[in-house]
Amino acid sequence: MNSTVSYSLRRRLVWLLTGAVAAIWLVSAWVVYQRAHHEADALLDSQLTQVAETLLAIVAGGEVEHFVKELHEHAGRNPVPIVFEIWHTDDGAMRRLVTSPSHAVFETGLPDGFSERPYQGARWRFYGLQDEDAEYRVVVAQAHDAREQLAREIGLSLLVPAALALPLMALAVWWVVGRSLRPVDAVAQQVGALDAQALAPLDESTPLPSEIAPLRSALNALIRRVAEAFDNERRFTADAAHELRTPLAALKVQAQVAQRAQTADSQQRALAQVIAGVDRMTHLVEQLLTLARVDPANQGSVPDPLDPAGTIAAVCAELLPQAQRQAQSLVVETAPGCRVAVTEAWLRIALRNLVDNALRYAGEGARIEVRLARSGPACTITVADDGPGVASDLRSQLSARFVRGEVEADGCGLGLSIVARIAALSHAQLELGDGLPRAEGGHGFAVSLRFGAAAGPA
Amino acid sequence: MRILLVEDDRMLGDGLQAGLTQAGYAVDWLRDGEAAVAALSTESFAAVVLDLGLPKRDGLSVLQWLRGRDDTTPVLILTARDQLEDKVRGLDLGADDYVLKPFDLDEIAARLRALVRRAHGRPQPLLSLGEIELDPAARSVTRAGLAVELTPREFDLLHLLLENGGRVLTRRVLEEQLYTWNDAVDSNALEVHIHHLRKKLGNELIRTVRGVGYMASAATTPT
Repeated sequence: MNSTVSYSLRRRLVWLLTGAVAAIWLVSAWVVYQRAHHEADALLDSQLTQVAETLLAIVAGGEVEHFVKELHEHAGRNPVPIVFEIWHTDDGAMRRLVTSPSHAVFETGLPDGFSERPYQGARWRFYGLQDEDAEYRVVVAQAHDAREQLAREIGLSLLVPAALALPLMALAVWWVVGRSLRPVDAVAQQVGALDAQALAPLDESTPLPSEIAPLRSALNALIRRVAEAFDNERRFTADAAHELRTPLAALKVQAQVAQRAQTADSQQRALAQVIAGVDRMTHLVEQLLTLARVDPANQGSVPDPLDPAGTIAAVCAELLPQAQRQAQSLVVETAPGCRVAVTEAWLRIALRNLVDNALRYAGEGARIEVRLARSGPACTITVADDGPGVASDLRSQLSARFVRGEVEADGCGLGLSIVARIAALSHAQLELGDGLPRAEGGHGFAVSLRFGAAAGPA
Repeated sequence: MRILLVEDDRMLGDGLQAGLTQAGYAVDWLRDGEAAVAALSTESFAAVVLDLGLPKRDGLSVLQWLRGRDDTTPVLILTARDQLEDKVRGLDLGADDYVLKPFDLDEIAARLRALVRRAHGRPQPLLSLGEIELDPAARSVTRAGLAVELTPREFDLLHLLLENGGRVLTRRVLEEQLYTWNDAVDSNALEVHIHHLRKKLGNELIRTVRGVGYMASAATTPT
């Protein structure tokens, strides 16, 4: 698929595994060879020693002539021929007594024990031995090359089958790796068969190796998230259509009522409803646009911490006339020194919606308090009212889109969803709880935004 | 014709109530599912206009409850959801008709007329008895081909009696079908309307069944 960086895992595994095995094999082969060589040397040396000792014993026993004849007849059986000389001390002078057949004389004065020296233009290994009373002396020798060759042959005979096994092993690795990677192919096929319109998680019932299972789990987690986002968008479109249709229906019906009204009074009433309906649709469209605008893509970089007191004051000042029209009291209490990391425009939108909600739903003459409190590095903005409150089982649904409280008011049901979205994007906690105590008992409604410690200068 | 309207949207409910009243229906308007169930369990309506997204009790659940107790009151569903499955589900649960928001007031009125008509097993749109003919859509009445002027209440009363031709309707049923909860009803209002109808359409048309109620009768001219 991707020609620049694509590679076959299988090929790579086969090369790496075979290469590693071959390297290990080479090292061990070298060791085996060395050891085989050494063993062959030791073996040949002990043979030399043995021959020398036997010769000495035979010479001392006076059967030299017979032995030499025998030896001559059997010459060539030994893979590495041995040549020898036997010396005898006579009257204080050493002289050659016997030599092996077809023999060129050794140099004189060869030491006892092993030594290597040139002989007939090549290297030979010699062994000298004397009997106890220094009457006889035996020197045996073998051609170094022949010894070497024997040792090499022994070493190689061990290595050749192992070397032949290497390509077989590469084949086995190829097969095993291919077999082991088959689940990856299966997952790839499952992913390839996914329907983008109806994303469903991969079937997790088939067992996968523990190395690949996390990939499938991660894929499934991703699929679920994407599907959820998909669903969310689809639901939002459906909800938005629903929310637009009802006010549109109301507008049309009220306009038709106005058209057919038989009294001027009822006509005026219907027309007033039409105008209110247009205002309501405007509000709804604005809220929808706001919700669309509160998008992480529009946030830019991490916002600088700011003191929310100024924004609170500005928003409340803006909404004060509305509160006064409804005979509501709007009280602001702010603690100094708060810093919260939030985009100012978003904070303004969130506050506007919270205070606007309180004004809408708390009812005529209600008291609404906007408090900014600080505890340690955390700051909390609370908008509380002494309105009719919200039943606790309904609270959890309130921040869903298009859900309104039970109170009859002209909200479009988007305010708290907008606040919830801003809270989520600003890493603040949104809490719905009891508000101010009511004169007739019980509590109103309160919404708090809790901001954690803001980074940057306090 | 008394209609129960169940719609939580204040502005739409208000408009529908006003518009259907203009079209000659007596409209009672409720704003949540539980109130609708309470009203439907004690009173009878010619038809129910039911929104689906209702607080406290969903419209479909109200419908299910209604059909569960073998109540055949025609139900017209109002909905903003145009997904086929929503429609199918609504109809399968016993809805008689289905209107997508936004709609036309005339369409709702026409569909309601059709629903009421079908509920009475009547295929033709016009109601007739003897020489009296009533057109529910035009809200007009003729006697032997000549137009007769009726007040809206008289028209509704005649409509009810003709729709249930041959059956005795009790005072209570008639009042329930004619007046909404908001209407102030005089104790003898019904007698007054009956009196006027007899004056305009002939004495034989509406028979009084003593101690029970009234019925439309074709005794003079057999149909």
